[in-house]
Amino acid sequence: MRDPARTGPRGSEAVFQEQVVPEIDVLYRVALSITRSHADAEDLVQDTLLRAYRAIDRFDGRHPRAWLLTILRNAQVNRTRRRRPDLLHDPDEVTRRAATTEDTRAQPEEAVMAGVLDEHLGAALDALPVKFRQVVDLIDVSELSYHEAADVLGVPIGTVMSRLSRARKRLRDHLAREGILPRRRM
Amino acid sequence: MRATLMSPLMRGMGLMLRVRRRLRPDAPARCPEVARVLQSYLDGEVDARTLRLVSAHLEDCRRCGLEVETYTALKQALHRVGDPPAEPVERLRTFAAQLATGDIPDQS
Repeated sequence: MRDPARTGPRGSEAVFQEQVVPEIDVLYRVALSITRSHADAEDLVQDTLLRAYRAIDRFDGRHPRAWLLTILRNAQVNRTRRRRPDLLHDPDEVTRRAATTEDTRAQPEEAVMAGVLDEHLGAALDALPVKFRQVVDLIDVSELSYHEAADVLGVPIGTVMSRLSRARKRLRDHLAREGILPRRRM
Repeated sequence: MRATLMSPLMRGMGLMLRVRRRLRPDAPARCPEVARVLQSYLDGEVDARTLRLVSAHLEDCRRCGLEVETYTALKQALHRVGDPPAEPVERLRTFAAQLATGDIPDQS
């Protein structure tokens, strides 16, 4: 919690270091899920950090992540107004980062299973519509709460839940067709 | 909080489940009811009572237990996809440090 009496260059710097900097990882992941491009994600987070720094004196010290995600979302809205809105999907980026397959014969069964899953997950993710892909990226990859994801996307929490449930079922069905996960029974 | 249902049939079933739950708040959960909240359960987004009911059901139900295992494996795999690349995050940390020390002029 901030002491208002300490507001000023020194206090702002400390708040920025303590509250904003630790969230850079999360901000980057969220930015990546929104922009689908590493270059755009980096630009967006840089923009977010700059805006956060300028606004730090108005930050009440509570819920830094929620505050930063709001800034990030506003920054993204401004950016997409300036640019074409149809550049959402770059499947290569995430696929490239999916774990590569190596010789897994010597590993325990669980690790083999995880390796096989990782190998096929990229294609299953690429087959998802962008709206489904976004909620999976925000909640499963970036570990945001439903509430945070709803705020970032600007949709009701029920929409997040519905999209997430459908997205996971599609992923599961895709992987079940390849014999990697058991088929759905309900 | 509840997963959104897809079809009228499913909605009807959901209503029946809700009525039953209203009448008997502590009745053991059944498979369809668990299926409806399973994703929220895995994400830690259910209230304490739902958590208790689902956990109790999972202790006895092998089929639902398998569903949990399957979606947990999927969730863990998805999380592994997301390790952020070190380089851009490092550049952003440097940028943040420069901001905080005033090395970057405010262009506003």
